[in-house]
Amino acid sequence: MNNQWLAFFQGIIFVKVQGQGAERLINRLLRSGIPIWNVSKQGEQAILFSCSLQHIHKVRRAARTFEGDLHFYRGEGFPFLLKRLWRSSGFLVGAAAFLVVVLLLSNIVWRIDIGGASPKMEHQIRKELAGMGIEKGKFIFSADDPETVQHKLLNRIEGLTWVGVEVRGSTFHFRVVEKTAPKEKKVKGPRHLVAAKEAVIAKLFVKKGQAAVKRDQFVHKGQLLVSGFIGTEDRLKEVAADGEVWAETWYKAKVEMPVSTEFQVLTGRQVKKHRLEAGSFKLPVWGFKNHSFADYKKDEQLHSISFLGMKLPVSYAETTYYESKQTSRSYTEKEAELRALDIARGDLEAKLPEKAEIRGEKILQRQFTNGKVKLSIHFQVLENIAVEKPITQGDKKNARRKKHNEYPARKSE
Amino acid sequence: MAKKWGEQMRSWLTKSLNLPEDVMMDLPRITMIGQLHIYIENHRGLLAFSDKEVRLMLTKGQLLIKGQSFTIKTILPEEILIEGKIEKFVYLDG
Repeated sequence: MNNQWLAFFQGIIFVKVQGQGAERLINRLLRSGIPIWNVSKQGEQAILFSCSLQHIHKVRRAARTFEGDLHFYRGEGFPFLLKRLWRSSGFLVGAAAFLVVVLLLSNIVWRIDIGGASPKMEHQIRKELAGMGIEKGKFIFSADDPETVQHKLLNRIEGLTWVGVEVRGSTFHFRVVEKTAPKEKKVKGPRHLVAAKEAVIAKLFVKKGQAAVKRDQFVHKGQLLVSGFIGTEDRLKEVAADGEVWAETWYKAKVEMPVSTEFQVLTGRQVKKHRLEAGSFKLPVWGFKNHSFADYKKDEQLHSISFLGMKLPVSYAETTYYESKQTSRSYTEKEAELRALDIARGDLEAKLPEKAEIRGEKILQRQFTNGKVKLSIHFQVLENIAVEKPITQGDKKNARRKKHNEYPARKSE
Repeated sequence: MAKKWGEQMRSWLTKSLNLPEDVMMDLPRITMIGQLHIYIENHRGLLAFSDKEVRLMLTKGQLLIKGQSFTIKTILPEEILIEGKIEKFVYLDG
């Protein structure tokens, strides 16, 4: 009785004894040390009792000399539960498999919607997405998060002004805004070409109009370069002046370059860890090895797992540790100067239009202080300085009075 | 003669040392809870059992318990717990 729980774990069998001398059998069981309980009489001859499953062989042995009938009619307890569970394990396996399948299917990309794009753009986006691993039938958590996808798309596809990325359940939605380049105005009004900045003219290439400057001439900002008036003074005609005026311009730049710098570089060694997270509970799934990096960078990506479109509180995290190394770089003063010059040149080139060309450079000042090289550099650049300026009514009157090449320089432009 | 003397000795010891009789003299200890349960220690076996009557062997004689709807809740080599409606129990000298 006191060990009812223990008995439950070991299993309880219900025995039915029929025949004369059932009491004697019970006495015999007692003497061989088999505890029995819940003995009751059923009818005249039959006695029911229960005993532990582990004594079933002993009960059988004791009943050998008994001339009546012994029958184990029922079992209860843990071993029998297990047996029943095993018998119905197909259902359990089926249910588990169903859940797994639904879970997997909920995390697969079923559809990619692209709205607002021309067919050509849509095709291009789909191709780019496929390259990123976002395709129908792929797992959502193998894909990047929406922000990264957006970034990559914007970087890789030209002609894309903006793209909105949203993951709703198992569908990727993309809203696309394409660049629409404004059409170039075909009709050009009459205009002059004037200087964009102070420069010395190097080369004139006039398609239309009349040149108002000569080679090696210094021009101010706003000075007339190519006039839109052609013809003689009494038969003036207005045209849209067109052409290129290449001139030498000047730029000053100041750069600083530390002689020695320290920075982190990645060595290329990395350790990946995968785990499942539910709230503060973290379950490592793969990658149990700890990294032994002294310096490292950590990159973590969280993918939430959804079930039938609902987000589960469980997410799948992928952490990558990249080993990094502290490296120092030191230059001699000469090298630092060259590097500084390179940087200044690069900066300038980035600012200049494509066709412009750096003609020469001159270091005006160099200073070595606090482990730094300070340079101020003068650059000579050859660039097209012509900008368009429409001709107004007043200009025409002036033009009639004056000669074109005496066009006054306008300071306030 | 020797047996009788031993028994007398044991009885005297029990009385003078204030020891429980059931331990010293191999007597049954019977505990009853109302009419519901009867708990007998130191029995020597089950002689007859039905839902109206239980007969137990003792060291000396028998014990007959009568009542209604008996079931043996637990039975161990020397202990028995009977549940039901107990009406009476009688010692039968063997």
